[in-house]
Amino acid sequence: MTSGTAMRDIAVAAAALAILIAVPFLVHSPAFLDYIIRIAAMSLFATSLNLLVGGTGLVSFGHGMFYGLGAYAFALLMQRTQISLAAAAGCSLVISALVGLAVGAVCIRLRAIYFAFVTLAMQMLFYSIIITWQSLTGGDQGLQGGIPRRVLFGFDLNSQFHLYTVSAVVMVVGLLLLRHVSASPLGATLRMIRDNEPRTAFLGVTVWRAKLTAFVIAGVFASLGGILAALFVSGAYPELANWPISGQAIFAVMLGGVSTFLGPLAGAAILLALGDAVTRFTEYNGMVLGLVILFVTLGLRRGVLDVLTEALRRRRTGPAAGAAE
Amino acid sequence: MDLDALGRCVSTASCLVTQTTSGLIAGLLLFLVAAGLTLIFGVLKVVNFAHGTFYMLGGYIAFTTLQVTESYTLAVLAGGAAMAVFGIFFERALIARVYGQDVLMQLLVCYAVVLIFDDLVKMVWGADFLAMGMPPAFQVPPLFIAGGIVPPFYAVLIGIALVIAIALAASLSGTRAGKTVLAAAQNPTMVSALGVNTDRLFAVVFAIGAALAGLGGALAAPVRSLTPGMGFSVLIDSFIVTVIGGMGSIAGALLASVGVGLIRGFGTIGFPTFTDGLIYVAMIIVLLLRPTGLFGREVV
Amino acid sequence: MTKTDQRITLRRRPLLAGAAAALATPFVARAQGTAKSGTVKVGMPTILSGAIALLGTSQRNAAEMEIERINAAGGLAGRKIELVVRDSKGQPQEAARVVRELVNTDGCEIIMDAEASSAAFAVQEVIRDLGVLCIHTSSETSSLTADPKLRVATAFRCARQGVHDSIVGGSYAAKVADAKKWTKWATCSPDYAYGHDTTTQFLDFFKHFKPDVEIITQAWPKLGAPDFTEVITKLIQAKPQALFSLLYAGDLSAFINQANVYALFSNMAMFDPNMGDYPVLTAVKSLPAGIYSGTRYLENFPDLPANAAWGEAYRKRFNQFPTNWSWQNSTAWMLAEAAAKKAGSLDAKKMSEALTGLTIDCPFGVGGKVTMRDDHTLVNYAVGWGRTTPKMPYVIDIEAGDWKQLYELEAAWKKQMNYT
Repeated sequence: MTSGTAMRDIAVAAAALAILIAVPFLVHSPAFLDYIIRIAAMSLFATSLNLLVGGTGLVSFGHGMFYGLGAYAFALLMQRTQISLAAAAGCSLVISALVGLAVGAVCIRLRAIYFAFVTLAMQMLFYSIIITWQSLTGGDQGLQGGIPRRVLFGFDLNSQFHLYTVSAVVMVVGLLLLRHVSASPLGATLRMIRDNEPRTAFLGVTVWRAKLTAFVIAGVFASLGGILAALFVSGAYPELANWPISGQAIFAVMLGGVSTFLGPLAGAAILLALGDAVTRFTEYNGMVLGLVILFVTLGLRRGVLDVLTEALRRRRTGPAAGAAE
Repeated sequence: MDLDALGRCVSTASCLVTQTTSGLIAGLLLFLVAAGLTLIFGVLKVVNFAHGTFYMLGGYIAFTTLQVTESYTLAVLAGGAAMAVFGIFFERALIARVYGQDVLMQLLVCYAVVLIFDDLVKMVWGADFLAMGMPPAFQVPPLFIAGGIVPPFYAVLIGIALVIAIALAASLSGTRAGKTVLAAAQNPTMVSALGVNTDRLFAVVFAIGAALAGLGGALAAPVRSLTPGMGFSVLIDSFIVTVIGGMGSIAGALLASVGVGLIRGFGTIGFPTFTDGLIYVAMIIVLLLRPTGLFGREVV
Repeated sequence: MTKTDQRITLRRRPLLAGAAAALATPFVARAQGTAKSGTVKVGMPTILSGAIALLGTSQRNAAEMEIERINAAGGLAGRKIELVVRDSKGQPQEAARVVRELVNTDGCEIIMDAEASSAAFAVQEVIRDLGVLCIHTSSETSSLTADPKLRVATAFRCARQGVHDSIVGGSYAAKVADAKKWTKWATCSPDYAYGHDTTTQFLDFFKHFKPDVEIITQAWPKLGAPDFTEVITKLIQAKPQALFSLLYAGDLSAFINQANVYALFSNMAMFDPNMGDYPVLTAVKSLPAGIYSGTRYLENFPDLPANAAWGEAYRKRFNQFPTNWSWQNSTAWMLAEAAAKKAGSLDAKKMSEALTGLTIDCPFGVGGKVTMRDDHTLVNYAVGWGRTTPKMPYVIDIEAGDWKQLYELEAAWKKQMNYT
C-alpha cells in the first residue's frame, strides 16, 4: 500500500466526520441522529464481517456472536464495576479478541459450508449460555435497569447529541482502521487465500495464522459495533447475540456489495432505512423485506455499490470495454 | 446438572426404556424433515434454508384439509403433495437461478421465502396458534412395552419414518432413476451429456425433499401447535442433524436424528436446563473430529 | 449508453425519488407529526409478526374499541386520540428505536407499551430518557415496577404481575393439595427467566401455605419447542401426584395434546396459571376436564354484567375471543381517560400525578374497580383459579384470590427482595 492512498483515505474520513458533526447544527432531527448511531453500530459489524466474507472467503453465519459479546461484556462492566467508559470498552474489546482467538482456532480448521455451520453452532451455543446463565446475564430479559452512561472525555453520553458525536467518531475511525487492514500486506494475503488457498500455502504463507488473525480482527470490530448498540439501547439483550442478527449483517453485506470496501456501510444504511420505513407503513414487513431481498439477489445479483462502481467504470472506459467484459 | 438422577434413570429399566423410546420418537420425527434437507443438499448442493417453511406449510395445509374432509390420511397426503408441487415451483422459479453461486446468495433467496411465507400464513390462517387435534382412531391409551410407554400414534409415525428411510435408501441405490440421481450429484455435466434432462431431475429431487418436509409437518400436526414462524426451530434442529450426519447422507441423517433424540431424552434428566447446549457441543465436537460430519464427503 | 438504457433510467428516476422520500420521512416528519391540531397521538409498540403476533393483534383490537368509545365521548382532555401502532418484532433494540421514533418523529405524547418481557425493559429505559407518559400493558415481570432502581416517574404497569399470580396460585394449590392429600409435586416450565423466576416464586408461596410438599422433579422445556415427548415421559416416570406448569399459549396447547397421547392427565393433576385464556382453551381440541387453571381472561370472571358485555362486544366485532392482553390494554385506556379528566391536561408530569393512586370503575376489577397503586402497578384486578371443562364457559368453580392476603404477602416479598 502506498502512503498516498492512505493519506487519501484519511482525508476522506476526516471530511466525512466533519460533515457528520456539522449535521446536528444545521438541521434539528433527533430521528436522524438515532439513525446514524445505529448505522455506526451496524456498519462496523457488517464491514468486519466482510473482512471475512469478501476479504478472505470465509463465510461466517455466526458473526453476531461477537456483536452480542461486545454488548454484554461492555454493559456488564459498566453495571458491575466503576471503571471508566473507555476502560470498559477497551476491556470488552480485549475479551472479544481472546474469545475470537479461541473460537477462531476451532472454526478455521473447517472449510466452506462447514465453516459456516460451525460458526453458527458457536453462536447458538453462546446464545444458549446467555439464556441459561441467568444470574449474570438476566437470561432472556436481558441486563435490566440501563447502562450507566458515564462521561467519556467530557462527553455526557446521556445526551443524544454527545452519544451521536462519539458514535460518529468511533464509526469513522473504526472503518478507517478496517480499511487499513484490508489495504495492508495482511489484507493482500487474505485475498490470495480467498482466490487460491493451496497456492498461497505453497508460496510459504502460514494460512491458518492469517485466517485466525482475520477472524480475531473481525471479531474485535464486530464487538465495537456491539458496544455502540448497547449504548443506544442502554442495555444488552439476548436478541443482540441471536441468529437473526448475523442474518442482518449478511444481508447488509450482500445488499451493499462484497467487493467494495464501503459496500457493507451502504448496505447497513439502506437496510436500516428500509426496515424503519417498512415498519412505518405495514405490519407485513417480512413480506416487503423478502421481496426486496429477492429483487437484490435475483434482479441485481450483486450489491448496490458493486453495481454502481461497475457502472461508473464502464462509463469511464466507454461502452465497448463494458461490453467486452 | 443432576447426574444422580441420570445415573438412577440409566440403571432403572423402565426409565431407560421410556426415555430411549421417547428419544427415538422425537428423533425420527426430526429425521422426516431432515431427510429432505440432506437429500436436496446431497444432489443439488443447495443449502435449503426454506426447509422449515415447507414443514410449516405442510402442517397448515393438513389442518385445513382435515377441517374440510375430516380425514387425517387425506390431510397428510395433501400436506405432502402440496409441498411437492410447491417445491418444483420454488426450485424452478428461484433456486435454479442461484445454482453454483455463492452460498450467501442461496441463503438470502431462501431467507426471503421464509419471510414472505411467514407473513402469508399470518394473512391466510391468522396470527393465532392453531391445534389440529388427534384423529379419533388414535384416541386410545398408550401401550406398555417392556416397561416403556409407547403411544399408538407415535408407533405409527415411527413406522412411517422408518419406511421412508428404507424406501429412500433403497430407491437411491437400487433403482435406475436413483442411480442417475446419485450420478448427477457427483457430476451433473456428465449426466447431462449422456442425454438425461438434469433440469427435470433436479426439480424432482427438490420436490421429494420438499414433500418430506411437508409430510413431517402434516404428520406431526395433531400434537404440535401451528403458528407463523413455527418452521424456525425445526429448521435449526434439521440443520444440526444434517451437519452432524454429513450433508447429503440419508444414513447419516437417520443416525444423527436418533442421536439428537437420545441426547434430548437423557439430557432432560441429567441436564434439564442445558439440553440444547449439549446438542450444540455435540455438533461442534463431531465437526472437529470429522469436518464433513459422520458420513459426509468433502464438498468445496 | 444506448437509447433504451436512457429511457429506463428516466422512468426509474421518479421511482427512486419516491423511494428516497419514503426512506427519509422520519427525519423531516416532525412537522407533520403535530400538524393535526386538536388530536393527541398515542404510540403503541408491540409484536405483530412471528409466533406471538396474537400479543399485538389482540391488544390492537382492544385499543381500537376503547379509542372509539373515548373519542365519541370527547377524547382525552378534549383531544381526539390518534393511534400509531408499530411492530417491533419482539426485538428489544427495535422496540427502543420504535419508541424513540414514535415520540421524536411522529410526535406521540403517550406510549402504550404493548411489548412483552425484555422489550418492555428496553422501553422503560427509553422512557427514562424521554420523560413521556408510558403505560406498560403486557409485561408481567414483577421487578419492572417493584424494584425501585428500575422505576421511572412517568412509567406505569397496567397488567397482571408474576408475584400476584404466584401468591394466589400458591394459596389455591395448597388448599386443593390439603384436601386431596397431594404432597408429591413436579414442575414443568419454560426454560427462560419468566419460567424459572415465577416457578421459584410459586413454590415459595406454595410451601409457605403447605410446608410438607416435596418437589420430586423439575422439567425445563425450551420455549417454542415443537416436541415435548421426552419431558412428558420424564414427568410420568417421576410419578408425582400433581404438576405445576407455567407453559402458555402455543407451547401449552402442544404440551396438552402431546400429554394426552401419553395419558398424562390420568396419572396426575395439573396446575397452570396460564391455562384460563381463550386462545388456549379454544385451540386445544380435546381439552381434559379438571385442569386447575388460573384466570387470565374469562367472560364469566369476574362475574359482572360489564365484563360479560365487553367480552361479547369484542367477540362480535373481531369474530375472535379476547385475550388476557386485551383486557389489560383496555384497562390502560380507561385509566388514561380517567387520569386525563382529573389532570385536565395531557402533560406527562400531571398525568403521572393523576394516575398514581387512581381508582376507576372497570369491568375487570374485583367489585368492578381497579387501582393504579402508588408503586405504579395495577392492583385489585380479578385474579382467581378454577377447573377446566371442555365446553364454554371452559373454566368453572372459580375461586377468587383474596387481595387482603395478597397485599400482606406481597409486602413481605418486597421486603425480602430489598425492594422497599
